[in-house]
Amino acid sequence: MRIIVVALVAIGSAGVLRGSHPAAQVSAMPEALRFAVIGDNGTGDRFEYEVAHQMVAVRERFPFEMVLMLGDNIYGGQTPKDFVQKFEAPYRPLLEAGVRFYASLGNHDNQSNRFYKPFNMDGERYYTFAKRNVRFFVLDSDYFDDRQRSWINDALRGSRDEWKICYFHHPLYSNGGRHGAQVDLRVMLEPILTRYGVDVVFSGHDHVYERLKPQRGIHYFVSGAAGQVRKGNLRPSDSTAAGFDQDQSFMLVEVAGGTFSFQAISRTGQTVDSGVLQKGSRP
Amino acid sequence: MTRMPRFAARHFIAFPIGALVALVWANTQPETYYVFARAWSFPVNDLGMVVFFALVTADIVDAAAPSGALHTWRRMALPIVAAVGGMMGATFAYFAYLRTGDELSVLSRGWPVASAVDLIVGYVLVRAIFRRHAAIPFFLLLGVAADVCGAVVVELLYPVADQHLAGVALIAGGVGIAVALRRAVVTSFWPYVLIAGGFSWWGFFLSGLHPAFALVPIIPFLVAHGQSGSTISHDQGLSRFDRVWSVPSQVGLLLFGLVNAGVMFKDVGTATKAVAIAALAGKPLGMLAAVGVAIACGLHMPRGVGRRELVVVALASSTACSFGLFLATAAMAPGPALAETKAGALVTVGGALLALTTARALRIGRFSPNPAAKRTRHDSARRAVSPRSLAGV
Repeated sequence: MRIIVVALVAIGSAGVLRGSHPAAQVSAMPEALRFAVIGDNGTGDRFEYEVAHQMVAVRERFPFEMVLMLGDNIYGGQTPKDFVQKFEAPYRPLLEAGVRFYASLGNHDNQSNRFYKPFNMDGERYYTFAKRNVRFFVLDSDYFDDRQRSWINDALRGSRDEWKICYFHHPLYSNGGRHGAQVDLRVMLEPILTRYGVDVVFSGHDHVYERLKPQRGIHYFVSGAAGQVRKGNLRPSDSTAAGFDQDQSFMLVEVAGGTFSFQAISRTGQTVDSGVLQKGSRP
Repeated sequence: MTRMPRFAARHFIAFPIGALVALVWANTQPETYYVFARAWSFPVNDLGMVVFFALVTADIVDAAAPSGALHTWRRMALPIVAAVGGMMGATFAYFAYLRTGDELSVLSRGWPVASAVDLIVGYVLVRAIFRRHAAIPFFLLLGVAADVCGAVVVELLYPVADQHLAGVALIAGGVGIAVALRRAVVTSFWPYVLIAGGFSWWGFFLSGLHPAFALVPIIPFLVAHGQSGSTISHDQGLSRFDRVWSVPSQVGLLLFGLVNAGVMFKDVGTATKAVAIAALAGKPLGMLAAVGVAIACGLHMPRGVGRRELVVVALASSTACSFGLFLATAAMAPGPALAETKAGALVTVGGALLALTTARALRIGRFSPNPAAKRTRHDSARRAVSPRSLAGV
């Protein structure tokens, strides 16, 4: 099997990522926030179920309390039956264990899905919520209108949280061959994210896993392969820090104080990327 | 040539040049292009395009005057029916295509784009095919009708910002000032544009309507004032306005193409295909079907326009380009959906090729093997269309 794990480049020199991390290791800090990240998951096919099964298995040793959804949560039909087949059934063990899902909308999602209770969007296309020392900002990248731009500007300006994490469907940076970076969106959004010190941005859309080298002080992840994968679609460039495009994948994250630990895990349970970011050692 | 044809001929080159430069720039240096496009979006789309729509409005008002092509409902009826049919066909095809996938919710706002008719490209095209022919005013009338319908729909359904009632009051104030200026027989158009237009622009802005249409409710008073016994004639009033704003309008269209047409080739997506199918297939078919029904109901085709000419006119109207881009930016917020839709508007330039190929296959207009037939149609068209009409070429 051809596994592309693109070189972990230049990270040591940046002083940000300090080597790889043992699989699914839990810190000793009781107040640590643990969550999973999935993108482009809602296919309802066996691959989505297998990724979900892997998430359930991993949670035995890495008890994450919530899941960030990066959009394209439900592909194809959007009927109640589809919500069961493409969301409730595969993630039932997690839902029954009290794990909360926080969704963003992708281009394949019906805009009315924001009213679906288990997505915890409270009927909003974009919203914010905080857990411990982390505040999350969820955007609708399909329509980045003036109202949303004004909202994210104000929300970020008002945040005093130690970590600011933003997520939405379309990536500002990506080396995925099918879609790649959404440059027009980046021109509008990136200045706001950098101005108010956003630490990490998660996106999907490209059906691969990719970690970018820090761009203007922000760590970007593309994690759009929790349902579909485009094998061999990653076109690594100078901006690529790590990547994986040979199988479905999802991410695990732990934020403990000023430490942000992440892992990317494949459908088969293999850790394909991992690392630690330290607050205060911005590149 | 009267005003509309002159306008189209003058502006034909400005938009394509801007669009071409934008396409190359966006696909080679996207970061710098989008920084530029973002910085210039407001001055070009919300300010510069005011001039363009003012000139188009002046033409429509001119055509609605006695001896104009829009003067009687009988002249207007069939092109308007064709425009409505085209709009329905395009809309049906757009949604039908989207319903085959799962992006309907995100892309639903793009349907008016496919209904747009690029008057500039279309005019140059039908002129190239037919030279002088009654099919030309028919095309222009249906194009104007389609674009007016599209603009109204977008304004009503998709206001660009929060709506404030104060905006409506300001628009009313602007119109009131224009009425007062007309009654005072003010001969210069500057007070209409700067004072009445200024109020109107601010009102459009505040009311959530697209401010590019700010001079639309003002221009009729400017145009009409020459008829009320002032020292300048109707034609002089229009000509002066046209003359002064011609070059700024060309610069505006060049910049409009430059700011809005820059889409990356990778942005081609579902909305691109939906707009292309709707514009290139749904719109002409809807148009032909509507005209068929209208004729069955008793309306008559213009003299010299037969089925073959109608097919070519319908295909020529499938090109949405410039006005399609405008409706896209008016109806949709920035983001991937807009980029896909804009790419679709650009792809409809293929309608020009379709129209040319079909004209050649049907052997009409310049492709007719019988020069006498061309001349006969040409002469009958000249008799049928007033020289002062919208397209009395």
